[in-house]
Amino acid sequence: MGSFFGVCLIFQGHVSAESIEFNRDIRPILAAECLHCHGHDPKLRKADLRLDERAGLYAETKDGFIIDRKKPEQSLLLQRILTEDPDDRMPPPESKKSLSEEKISMIRQWIMEGAEWQDHWAFVAPKNPTLPEVAEEAWIGNPIDRFVYSELDQHGLIPSAAADRRTLMRRVNFDLTGLPPTPEEVEAFVSDTGPNAFEKVVDRLLNSERYGERMTLAWMDAARYGDSSVFHADGVRDMWPWRDWVIRAYNSNMPFDQFTVEQLAGDLLPGSTRNQKIASGFNRNHGTTDEGGAIDEEYRVEYMVDRVKTTSNVWLGLSMECAQCHDHKYDPISQKEYYQFYAFFNRSKDRGMQTRNGNAPPLVYLYDPMQEAQVDHFGQQIAGLKENRKRVQPTQGEMSSWAALERAKGLHKKPALGAWMESEPFSETGFDQSFDRDFGPETKKDWAAVKESGNWEPAEDWKDGKPITLSLPDFHSLYAARVIQSEDAMEIDVSLGSDDALKVWLNGEELLSRKVVRGVAADQETVRLKLKPGENLFLAKIINSGGGSGFYFKLGGPRIPLKIVGLLKIKEGESTEEDSTALTEYYSKKVWPVGLKLNEEIQSLEKQQKDIRDSVTTCMVMEDMEKPRATYVLSRGHYASPVKDEEILPGVPAFLPTMPEGVPSNRLGLARWLTLPNHPLTARVTVNRYWQMLFGSGLVSTVSDLGTRGDWPSHMNLLDWLARDFIDHGWNVKRTLKQMVMSSTYRQQSNFTPESRQKDPENILLSRGPRFRLQGEFIRDNVLMLSGLLNAHVGGPSTKPYQPPRIWNEVSLDGNLKYVRDKGDKLYRRSMYIYWKRSAPSPSMMAFDAPTREKCLIQRQRTNTPLQALVILNDVQFVEAARVFAERIMKNGGASIEEKIRYAFLHAVGRPADKLRTQVMTHLYQEQLEAFRQEPERAEALLEFGEFESDDRLDPAEHAALTTLANALFNLDEVLTKE
Amino acid sequence: MNPFIQSNLQLSDPISRREMIRLGARGFGALGLASILSPEILKGNTGRVAGVLGQPHSKPKAKRAIYLFFSGGPSHIDMYDFKPAIRKTHGIELPESIRQGQRLTGMTSGQKSFPCVAPMFDFQKYGRNGTYISELLPHIATIVDDITIIKSVNTEAINHDPAITYINTGTQQLGHPSMGAWLSYGLGSSNQNLPGYVVMISKGGGQSQALYSRLWGSGFLSSRHQGVKFRSAGEPVLYLNNPPGINPQSRRSILDHIARINQDRLQSVGDPEIEARISQYEMAYRMQTSVPELTDLSDEPDHVFELYGPESREPGTFAYNCILARRMAERGVPFTQLFHRGWDQHGSLPRLIRLQCKNIDQPAAALIKDLKMRGMFDDTLVICGGEFGRTIYSQGKLSETDHGRDHHGRCFTMWMAGAGIKRGFEYGETDDFSYNIVKNPVHINDLNATVLHQFGIDHQRFTYKYQGLDQRLTGVQGARVVGDILA
Repeated sequence: MGSFFGVCLIFQGHVSAESIEFNRDIRPILAAECLHCHGHDPKLRKADLRLDERAGLYAETKDGFIIDRKKPEQSLLLQRILTEDPDDRMPPPESKKSLSEEKISMIRQWIMEGAEWQDHWAFVAPKNPTLPEVAEEAWIGNPIDRFVYSELDQHGLIPSAAADRRTLMRRVNFDLTGLPPTPEEVEAFVSDTGPNAFEKVVDRLLNSERYGERMTLAWMDAARYGDSSVFHADGVRDMWPWRDWVIRAYNSNMPFDQFTVEQLAGDLLPGSTRNQKIASGFNRNHGTTDEGGAIDEEYRVEYMVDRVKTTSNVWLGLSMECAQCHDHKYDPISQKEYYQFYAFFNRSKDRGMQTRNGNAPPLVYLYDPMQEAQVDHFGQQIAGLKENRKRVQPTQGEMSSWAALERAKGLHKKPALGAWMESEPFSETGFDQSFDRDFGPETKKDWAAVKESGNWEPAEDWKDGKPITLSLPDFHSLYAARVIQSEDAMEIDVSLGSDDALKVWLNGEELLSRKVVRGVAADQETVRLKLKPGENLFLAKIINSGGGSGFYFKLGGPRIPLKIVGLLKIKEGESTEEDSTALTEYYSKKVWPVGLKLNEEIQSLEKQQKDIRDSVTTCMVMEDMEKPRATYVLSRGHYASPVKDEEILPGVPAFLPTMPEGVPSNRLGLARWLTLPNHPLTARVTVNRYWQMLFGSGLVSTVSDLGTRGDWPSHMNLLDWLARDFIDHGWNVKRTLKQMVMSSTYRQQSNFTPESRQKDPENILLSRGPRFRLQGEFIRDNVLMLSGLLNAHVGGPSTKPYQPPRIWNEVSLDGNLKYVRDKGDKLYRRSMYIYWKRSAPSPSMMAFDAPTREKCLIQRQRTNTPLQALVILNDVQFVEAARVFAERIMKNGGASIEEKIRYAFLHAVGRPADKLRTQVMTHLYQEQLEAFRQEPERAEALLEFGEFESDDRLDPAEHAALTTLANALFNLDEVLTKE
Repeated sequence: MNPFIQSNLQLSDPISRREMIRLGARGFGALGLASILSPEILKGNTGRVAGVLGQPHSKPKAKRAIYLFFSGGPSHIDMYDFKPAIRKTHGIELPESIRQGQRLTGMTSGQKSFPCVAPMFDFQKYGRNGTYISELLPHIATIVDDITIIKSVNTEAINHDPAITYINTGTQQLGHPSMGAWLSYGLGSSNQNLPGYVVMISKGGGQSQALYSRLWGSGFLSSRHQGVKFRSAGEPVLYLNNPPGINPQSRRSILDHIARINQDRLQSVGDPEIEARISQYEMAYRMQTSVPELTDLSDEPDHVFELYGPESREPGTFAYNCILARRMAERGVPFTQLFHRGWDQHGSLPRLIRLQCKNIDQPAAALIKDLKMRGMFDDTLVICGGEFGRTIYSQGKLSETDHGRDHHGRCFTMWMAGAGIKRGFEYGETDDFSYNIVKNPVHINDLNATVLHQFGIDHQRFTYKYQGLDQRLTGVQGARVVGDILA
């Protein structure tokens, strides 16, 4: 495990001449080498020794003190790591761990210097550090710079010169809006001689709608946002209303504590608004399953586990997920504490088995005002009619004459039911196809004809009146047939149920066609059979959309329930009051024309109401059960092994602040606790994430782990100052970002000076400005903006831009899911709106390290690969953008090629092309122009690539040559990079 | 090259220095800083893309692997795991002593009856040891003396999504790297013009369960290690082809002009990342040549297609992909994984499994024979199997000719061959119902540990620090290398 410390040594210059600090130098060694056997997990602990606690380190044992502060050389800790005796040596040889000489000497030096203990820095609330005095006051833009300067100074470095305004302008535009500035904006800034020119730019950017989009894109990774459900079929879902909420929240500069409360517990706020409920959709973004064989509880638990991990990584910067199966190995989180945290979430209503067809409840409906009014109106009407139905009663006369009639009619002699026959399962490529296709027997009038249509077998174990489990593979259909013998012509109802879709025929005539996806249950459908005398053929078709399948059949239907039949048999006058009430109620609802009419009206209104609902977008939200589900520790984290000895109530780990007084013991309380002003983690973790966004790496480089195995902060006091400032100014996100970008630290130029390259190769000390490749979304948005194609619409559903063929088919369930790309300006929306199917996300974005978003991710990779080159060189999206940019250059860039190149560079990098660039690009242009003139068909082909039509008034060879120039420009490192 | 552009490139290794330092800063377990920065790794000018493991932990037997992965859960009962006594189980109810209350999927847990079904296929003995092989696999029957059949592979998962994620990434939790990505991370690639991990997908006749990019994803490792999908139609690798109207000369020239300006930027800015980008663009160009050369089978003689069978001339089939896999192996791609879909026979199993086996039998056997003929069998590891097996009991109705089988993870069969694996060997035993393991269980993590071992990697020492933990492919439960199957 040499590298952690090695890196500190090289980059932070911690040489033994400096004094040793426990947290910085010793704790990581203990965590990596000792705590596995001498940590807080009692099950793994050896020799009853704890080195993760002050008391353990200074304890006295029968052999002496672990650390002897009076006689340091006598310290057992030191003796045991130094001894040559393999029986005593620590770490023991069989652990395959060994301490390097450097580590041993650091431990020795620490003990010699007094062995001072420190609590883990990140678990203690940040205090406002004193601002360092620095020699170079002129460089100090704001307090951030004091911390940075002082650290540079200690390492014999000086800050880099300020970046030129053109570079700075492009940098801050990408950082705050994700888009480049226009040349006009650059020129305006360059020529603004006022003292607060840069501040004006920053304020303008922070107030642009683009700011909210940019911040949301970063948040989408953390919130594992997707447009599909991840597990098994990875079906569609609509969570973009939640994304819209986030954009609005950032744009309105919602304070981060409120941002936290609404997303973790918006549904639990007293009198919560629709928007607050939508915000709570944060915790519905995780993957869900629809797999036929899945066990509901297994996945329900999986969702809770995901919520704990996400909340813990995003807000606490802790890997709490490690304690699902056992006590955390390095941080003081017991398994029980894990389940206390889990209990906050384990009372939500959503189920394990969800759907591949859209959103699963709980939901909110996003009515527009008109729809909302209509739905309300229908609701009131329905309520009124129901009230009415209670009030109006049939007269005794009406009632008696019906009863008399029924009695006189006698009860039908039941027709005779023949044995069930089932067909073989028929396969199709999709649910719709299977539903629509006649595999033979449909419309056949009698059993003799049906029998010929396929292989039939008696279904001996089917029982009427009980749901029957079938085992149809996905998209298969099965027919069920039986003969019904009737003595005379009669009508009778049959009650049916099915999983999923159902069609019914009697004597070849279709009676029912229900394309639904559902589980089987009794009485889902009623059909009335008009039986003829003699043999009748009943035929049903069950079509499975996926997962389980089943069927239900009961003769008689719900028309006259047995109980009523029984009541009718009782002679008038002999029935009790209770009996006649039941009879009356039945009569008035099911037979009485007035009652029937009321029912019909109610049903019709309910249907209209449902139709509106079905047409309206929904968003999945959180909702707790009225009576919370009990939580138990799950033994080894297994869903089926709850330890029922003790119910676990919601709570937070003991090493962190206690829950504040007066907050409820639910997610709302959790959110309030996270945003306590003295919380040691939330603010540090959050400002560290913002820092990473701007500078490419966090002040703590392990952005989602500030626990004991996380990396040591490069600028501890700066992090604390930022966190304190953030909290003390009302969790004001824009303010914090503004301070960061206004600092001289941020405004340094990003060139590597020989000195900074040597002493600060990774820019950990911030001896220069940030310089790193733009993330994939920005690279694509940049070329769309340059070409003028960018569709500036903010928010709304995701769109489907260009994507190579068969990406979805190759992997989708049964391979028949086709990506239908959008047309027109939907091709050119910002990349954050690209439809995110998490089993097969956009390949061009994936090439640039976009995560699948199946799980929360706070730190993207930043690679440099040949596939990235291929995307920008060859993807139609980029080539088309180059072609349209070329058109723009031709029309607006001036007459000569030199002017055109100047125009192109001004747009792409905010500065005119220098001599070399002009020469190289001119050369490329001339050469390509010549070639396209010789082979005009190549120019034509290039100009037809992509949907956007080229202006055919332009000279094709010139246009094509400029297209290659524009595409070359897109591929320059200085264009792909935030400099 | 035109005289104006003097792109006198000093190509360095595609893994940039900055990224290597970043990897190091995360604390790669087995390495000290010195070896991360060693020139051998940073300047692999031998055409090798170095991995993070400078030296393997032990002497590697495998230089490359080809993983034939059958998605959906191939029935071990109908293909490999035969014993005469299984015939006696036919039609009887699955005894509770065998099931032992074990959990079933939601598709059959509601079934009232669990009638056992012996395979409806003939089994004969083949090879030196008289290994039973189903009539479904006449060609694989001819290579039993070259392979080790493991009948005791097992997994805890009982549904597709968790099971296929588990075997490919070592855990049912999402977000972890696939085995191919781990290998790419550890070993790099001996051919810098081709990816270190290639994935190809073919479709069978039956129901296709979904696949997920996470199955060949890089999880928390650098995304450069994710599997690159090779495709049977259109561009063999996404975005490989020049746009219409751009010919190779034009592409070369455009790249030279880009490089000239990037060179200038490198001089004035001094960021080593620019140097890396320049070399990445060169590699992209080389891929544009080397990939089409690799995927163009026109130089394969007829006897090769005859060996791999009638479907081998048809792009997109498993057979075609097998020939491609052998070509990858020849060119030094360290890990190639073929996914063949459609093995999920809940119903109509006898008919559907015949179709599936027809897709894979001859090509899989041909691959072994072909590797042997080319002298590559000794250092190429071949792995073959799916995410779980199927139940002895029938799902749905059992008739004289028809039945289905549900998922079964408690035992299933895979085979391995080449690169230090025993030849003509059977390992592990199951009970007469092919339901429980009675001897030598091999957990899927044991299997993965064994694969790493053949590459000279100790799965316990091959770790990556993420979220405070030393993550490994084989998880925390203690996997073991299956030494018994090693030659």
